[in-house]
Amino acid sequence: MPEPIIPRRAFLGQLGGSVGLLGLSSYLGGALAAETAPMPRFAPKAKRVIFLFMAGGPSHLDLFDPKPALARYAGQRPAAADLRTERVTGGVLASPFAFQPGGTCGTPISDLLPKLRERADDLCVIRSMHAVNPNHSPAASFLATGRIDSAHPGVGAWVSYGLGTENQNLPGFVSLGAGFGQAGFERSAYLPGQHQATRVGTKDLDPEKMIRHLRNPALDPVRQREQLDALQSLNRGYAAANGHDPQLETRVKAMETAFRMQAAAGDAFDIRREPQPVRDAYGPGEFAAGCLLARRLVERGVRFVQLSLGGWDHHAKINSELKKLCGVIDQPTAALLADLRQRGLLDDTLVVWGGEFGRTPVSENGDGRDHNHFGFTVFLAGGGVKGGHVHGATDDLGFKAVEGRVSVHDLHATVLHLLGLDHERLTYRHSGRDFRLTDVHGRVVTEVLA
Amino acid sequence: MPRPHLTALALLLAAPAVRAGDGVDFFESNVRPVLVEHCHKCHSAAKVKGGLRLDTPDGIRAGGDSGPVVAARDAASLLLKAVVYAADAPAMPPAGKLPAKVIADLKTWVELGAPLPADVPAVVKQVADPTAGRDHWAFRPAHECPAPAVSRPDWPAGKLDRFVLHTLDAQGLAPAPPAVRRTLVRRLYFDLIGLPPTVVQAEAFAADTRPDAVPRLVDELLASPRFGEKWARHWLDVARYAEDNPTSESTCQPPRFPHLYRDWVIGAFNTDLPYPDFVRRQLAADLMPGLPPTELAALGFLGLAPVYHKEPKLSKEVIAGILADEWDERLDAITRGFLGLTVACARCHDHKFDPVSQADYTALAGVLANTQLTERPLADDPAAAAAVAVVRPHLLDLEQRLGYAREMRATAKKEKADPAPFEKQVTELEAAVTAAKADAARLFSGPTANGVRDAGTWVDGTDPAWTRIDYRPAEFRDLPVFARGDATKPGAVTLRRFLPVLSAGEPKPLRTGSGRRELAECIVTDAGGLSGRVFVNRVWGWLFGRGLVATPSNFGRLGDAPSHPDLLDDLTARFLANGASPKWLVREIVLSATYQQAGRNDESVRCDPANRWLGRAAVKRLEAEGWRDAMLAVSGRLDLTAGGPSDDLDRKTTRRTVYGKVSRQRPPDVHRLFDLPDPKSHGERREPTITPTQQLYFLNSPFVRDSAAALAKQVAGDDDPVRELYSRVLLREPTAEEEAAAQRLVGDEPAWELLAQVLLASSEFLFLN
Repeated sequence: MPEPIIPRRAFLGQLGGSVGLLGLSSYLGGALAAETAPMPRFAPKAKRVIFLFMAGGPSHLDLFDPKPALARYAGQRPAAADLRTERVTGGVLASPFAFQPGGTCGTPISDLLPKLRERADDLCVIRSMHAVNPNHSPAASFLATGRIDSAHPGVGAWVSYGLGTENQNLPGFVSLGAGFGQAGFERSAYLPGQHQATRVGTKDLDPEKMIRHLRNPALDPVRQREQLDALQSLNRGYAAANGHDPQLETRVKAMETAFRMQAAAGDAFDIRREPQPVRDAYGPGEFAAGCLLARRLVERGVRFVQLSLGGWDHHAKINSELKKLCGVIDQPTAALLADLRQRGLLDDTLVVWGGEFGRTPVSENGDGRDHNHFGFTVFLAGGGVKGGHVHGATDDLGFKAVEGRVSVHDLHATVLHLLGLDHERLTYRHSGRDFRLTDVHGRVVTEVLA
Repeated sequence: MPRPHLTALALLLAAPAVRAGDGVDFFESNVRPVLVEHCHKCHSAAKVKGGLRLDTPDGIRAGGDSGPVVAARDAASLLLKAVVYAADAPAMPPAGKLPAKVIADLKTWVELGAPLPADVPAVVKQVADPTAGRDHWAFRPAHECPAPAVSRPDWPAGKLDRFVLHTLDAQGLAPAPPAVRRTLVRRLYFDLIGLPPTVVQAEAFAADTRPDAVPRLVDELLASPRFGEKWARHWLDVARYAEDNPTSESTCQPPRFPHLYRDWVIGAFNTDLPYPDFVRRQLAADLMPGLPPTELAALGFLGLAPVYHKEPKLSKEVIAGILADEWDERLDAITRGFLGLTVACARCHDHKFDPVSQADYTALAGVLANTQLTERPLADDPAAAAAVAVVRPHLLDLEQRLGYAREMRATAKKEKADPAPFEKQVTELEAAVTAAKADAARLFSGPTANGVRDAGTWVDGTDPAWTRIDYRPAEFRDLPVFARGDATKPGAVTLRRFLPVLSAGEPKPLRTGSGRRELAECIVTDAGGLSGRVFVNRVWGWLFGRGLVATPSNFGRLGDAPSHPDLLDDLTARFLANGASPKWLVREIVLSATYQQAGRNDESVRCDPANRWLGRAAVKRLEAEGWRDAMLAVSGRLDLTAGGPSDDLDRKTTRRTVYGKVSRQRPPDVHRLFDLPDPKSHGERREPTITPTQQLYFLNSPFVRDSAAALAKQVAGDDDPVRELYSRVLLREPTAEEEAAAQRLVGDEPAWELLAQVLLASSEFLFLN
């Protein structure tokens, strides 16, 4: 193929508003990538992220934030319990679940998560999260994008925009599962379209059924290669006849990448290729498959993997329902951390676990807990955070974050910081001004940095 | 054991009680505007007659030379005596008695204890000089410019070409030769009607030697009903048209009749509605006497704005914040869409770059605070309209209350409390819901659109457990400036008015009803130069792929400066002089020598890679609608049934893409992959991205494969299927080399669909040059 006659700088200038500079490296290769990394960086501690979004609001009080006062005040309504949440609540509801110290650090974790507790030394538990809205949609949007109005890019899209992908045959940002609120995380909004998550179903383990349009069922790979060669020949000719217009050259490359992606994704997304002992370690079920897939993807250079699991909205029967759901996540989450650790990936992979809010210390429907955005728990692991560490605290009842408070914006700022991105400088010009993930807020929580 | 929470529950549906904080709100919404309007002239910082200032809470508390002006709960307060023109007090305001309603509000306020907010200044800082920014190029009136001298007087076909050539001359560049007929006919078809010409049409045009062949074709295409279908889609980006909301809880269910707005826009382009009327009707068709009721569908511009869930159990402050966000989005769509100004940047502070203050923002946002989204019968029947606007929201409210009462009853049982009060509520509410449903069933059942009506919008927090939105169709409000945009921190009330920087003299008030009608008028008159330029530039960008101003929704100082300022001015002035006819404008542009140039591949490209100076035709990727419709057309599957409810583009629909459902929640593949601007907010322009996942779509998606199969089937029996495919898809014959390659690809038992797909996925088909 002849060299494009347009000088590279002009080429980039022209693409600046269209193809999007930063993500361009994701499929134009390394030489260009060096020229297209304009973001001021710190030395990154993490290169990639796995974000485990627990949609619905898991109860921090029953999992990570033990509060003896709950038993003391059971059934009563002390003044500190009078915070306004989504619904009408009753008296204080004690947690029936015992906590035990885990690992050598001794971080207390509930009996509902015994396997994860064994990984306590990997966890940095932030007990002092707080958010702004007690409804699911706006709160999930807030955790995903830093805004409640769902018109802004998700954290994964920002990371993809800031860093691109490490594997040009795979999308840089993959979203697994289809839980509530997932759409907010997947959104690229005003960022260029290639930073939108590629959504992958995890119900079926066959990659062709997981990724849309991954395979042409009517054509074997050899015939498709022939077809592609004919197409590429036509497209190269057309590009040459049109002065090697950058859009046309880019399309030729993108088409080749797409073709290779079919095979690469067929491998990357196929957890059936994992040895049986590894699959056994993660256990059965869709969430376990998602965790294993997340590891396969980050191992192959996918920058941001979003995995959602719904069902945490325990307005009633929390004790029995929570136990079931913890049974679903405990083994796979622990296995994911152990697997990443064992492969040396945990050092530069950041795992984030949490919901859009936590739950109230007071009861709802007698045996449930309401939404609580005043105080809740998120944990981080790997990629540059302190392991075996607990940060911040809620009040005696576990209602409101009171010590070392961490807002959702602070969490975002910290995630970006760990990736080497300055949350105040990772901006995108839209609608006449520069937008940020953290809006006009955010503080890097230096206390949790390793 | 005490259960105070259940006591609180019992209050849920009880009569509203006034809370302490609400008096201040009452002051802000009912008293302060009166003081601003009727008293500040003589009793404020500017002038302190009688030693009395009514522009600060301290001033009101202190009173004036005649003593205290109000005392809590004292009906004999001087203020109350003055406004009723009592014998023992000065008659105020001297110009004439206030309306009875206003006097009643003042009394209510005094009865409430004359509560005042913490001391905040009543007059916010105005931008230093509202006239200072008026000399910015975009804010000046548009006027015709003399055609400049050019190097090649034979080249220009129309006046605009002279500006283009003059600039090319100045850059030391020359225009490209005219495009060949086959290229031009494809360009015109796609740009004007969004569909490819058939082989027959292309050949007929190529063979048409009449001197007016091009204008004839252009007129034919402009007259086609397909023109509106193509051009409406451009506008629907601007209007962030969609058929659902970002989420769909009880208070943000999808609108029921969104397609009527889409069909209205298509009709407006087809009937060549003059642009000022196009603006007026979208903002205020309901306030324009004499329009046929079907025109109310135009109100979808506002009526289909994104709506967010407003949970009644949330606090008043939270609900007020969500409302303020919604008003902000609507104001943004109006100001960026029609005026190319980023007014929403001034929500939290004065605009950093453009002469728009936070007070200016507030004065405009107030219009949206008096505009209620509602269904509107397309009939001249005010009673039906009023009923529809009230009954359905009322039913929703009752259903929510019923759901909540049931929840409460269950809680009481579980907590072993007495469920009887809730039983009673459930029974009552069930009856109320049944009655309201019966009312709803009796509502107007003819064609109905999603639009708006005038109604002041308040948040009613009197019931601490049930926050309501209170729409008052006969009462209007001005908004306070919110400190840093925070709806819980109201400052001084700002009367609704137009933007000073776009007003010749004093900005016009926008206070008749919501002020929408006046706002629309200001946009097309006071700001006619700007709004005209913005539209002309959009049309230019839709035809050339790039506007003369490359930031079509930002004509402010941070926006792009026009590449051809005189051309933009002149074309705008002539557009307005020619009845502001969109078809005139499109015709004027496509008949220019500039538009009809060929592409080129020489040194000049290196000098102007972005084609800012317009010395060639740029290669443009077809938009999603363009290539999808074209695939349907060339594979013989296109269904041209127009209008009506939308189809799901992820299913097997073969209607034009403009009739596909646009979703804020679950965008279909073609929208998601091919750059439809996210319709949660105003779409400034399409960003044509080129990504691998798009190419997977061309390689493997059912839509492309089905199109290829249908096309293959059509040519399979032909004498020369290769030629037939090339001719249908690419409007040309294959080269000998291509022919040989095609034969090799399809094999001995010819798999024509392989070749059909290659051509459908080819850049030559997907790009326009």
